[in-house]
Amino acid sequence: MGKAARDQSARDRIKAQREAERKQEQRKRMTTIATVVVVALAAVGAGWWYSIQSGQSEETTTALAPITVQSDGSVVMAKAGVDKPVLDVYEDFQCPICRELDKTSGPTVKNLAAEGKVKVVYHPITIFGEGVVRDNSVRAGAAARCVPDGRQWMAYHDKLFEEQPPETVEGFKTGELVEWGKEAGVTAPGFEQCVTSQQHAKAHADYSNAQIESAQIQGTPTLKLNGTALGNEAFNPSQLRQAILDAAK
Amino acid sequence: MLVTSDKTASPGPRAVRSALPWVTTASRLVLGGVLIVAGWGKIGTPVLSVQAVKAYDLLPESLATVVGYGLPIMEIVVGVLLVVGLLTRVAGVISALLMLAFVIGIASAWARGLRIDCGCFGGGGQLAAGVEPSYLVDILRDFGLFALGVVIAWFPPGRFALDSVLGVTSAREPDSYDTDDTDDTDGAEGDGIEGDDGEPLQKENH
Repeated sequence: MGKAARDQSARDRIKAQREAERKQEQRKRMTTIATVVVVALAAVGAGWWYSIQSGQSEETTTALAPITVQSDGSVVMAKAGVDKPVLDVYEDFQCPICRELDKTSGPTVKNLAAEGKVKVVYHPITIFGEGVVRDNSVRAGAAARCVPDGRQWMAYHDKLFEEQPPETVEGFKTGELVEWGKEAGVTAPGFEQCVTSQQHAKAHADYSNAQIESAQIQGTPTLKLNGTALGNEAFNPSQLRQAILDAAK
Repeated sequence: MLVTSDKTASPGPRAVRSALPWVTTASRLVLGGVLIVAGWGKIGTPVLSVQAVKAYDLLPESLATVVGYGLPIMEIVVGVLLVVGLLTRVAGVISALLMLAFVIGIASAWARGLRIDCGCFGGGGQLAAGVEPSYLVDILRDFGLFALGVVIAWFPPGRFALDSVLGVTSAREPDSYDTDDTDDTDGAEGDGIEGDDGEPLQKENH
């Protein structure tokens, strides 16, 4: 074999070897990328699952704790003798996030009250300063004051959130408010007249302003546990339960 | 045919080129860090993050719910990829697109006269009493982060990147390789995005 030919075949061998190395490196690289992609997707899936768990509501299993409508329009839900910790719930029937809070964490609050772990005080207020959204809110708030029975009040409260109108259009019309009251089982004799005449509109507005001032409410919903405002954990039923149980110790 | 690699095509003197990987690294840490913080602030309270998405009034209900649940974990995962420098280019592209979407969303809320909180780092998108919307600040911040995403996508992976350690971006520059390679798999990550790079680079060379 001549020198030139030997060189040529050596070059070919080296080239082939390089080619093989390159292919192998390529394969390794693709394996790494694929692994990372799979792990990343798995992490997304796990996070998604965690999110869903975090937003999972409890079921209201037992009967509710006794509910009392107070003269100032606030509503207490607690088992007899339970006076702490106190959970103050400031909410507006027209506020979408209040509705979401009620849907998400409402059952937890009710369950804990029924278990005798907390005294809950609902403060239905109007947070909105002006416009159609304020009018809606005041009408609903005033209507809720027409329900003297605690159990019926709670049913109406839940119903109002369920039926919450959009913030941009007129809703919570008096006719609807009367009808939903009946559907929720309100039996007070003067209910229809009370709602239609908006008898308690001023009382509700005054109470709202007083509460916003005295409790320094920045927005609704606000949950205060023993006077301290809760953060986002209010929207995470299991964290909320834990916070309340910790406060009950 | 695309024979240029980033290095050979990059304009500017040598000093700029040697500083560039550090710029990428810094961008990765900032953008990744912000994404992780933002995602973490939202992931435990999907109810709020769904509300925050709905507050923009841009997406239909079902899609808003998907985004509300999916976005926080997306942000965290992409943020972690950026910080450790894995799949850097893809993570850079995704984060830049995310930021662009946020800028558009906030600008649109502003233009429509909505009064919302951007919900960027958590919360349900409602403004506290007496608080004015901070659209301009939010837009400038997210646009800055978008720019970082572009830098990362353009000049990956920077120093201290797992991509280099694991050989995802080969440590040796691809100069010697890209003569005939039309290998199936390589194209998936490389070609498409590199093609995107080609255009702006040429514009800069004018």
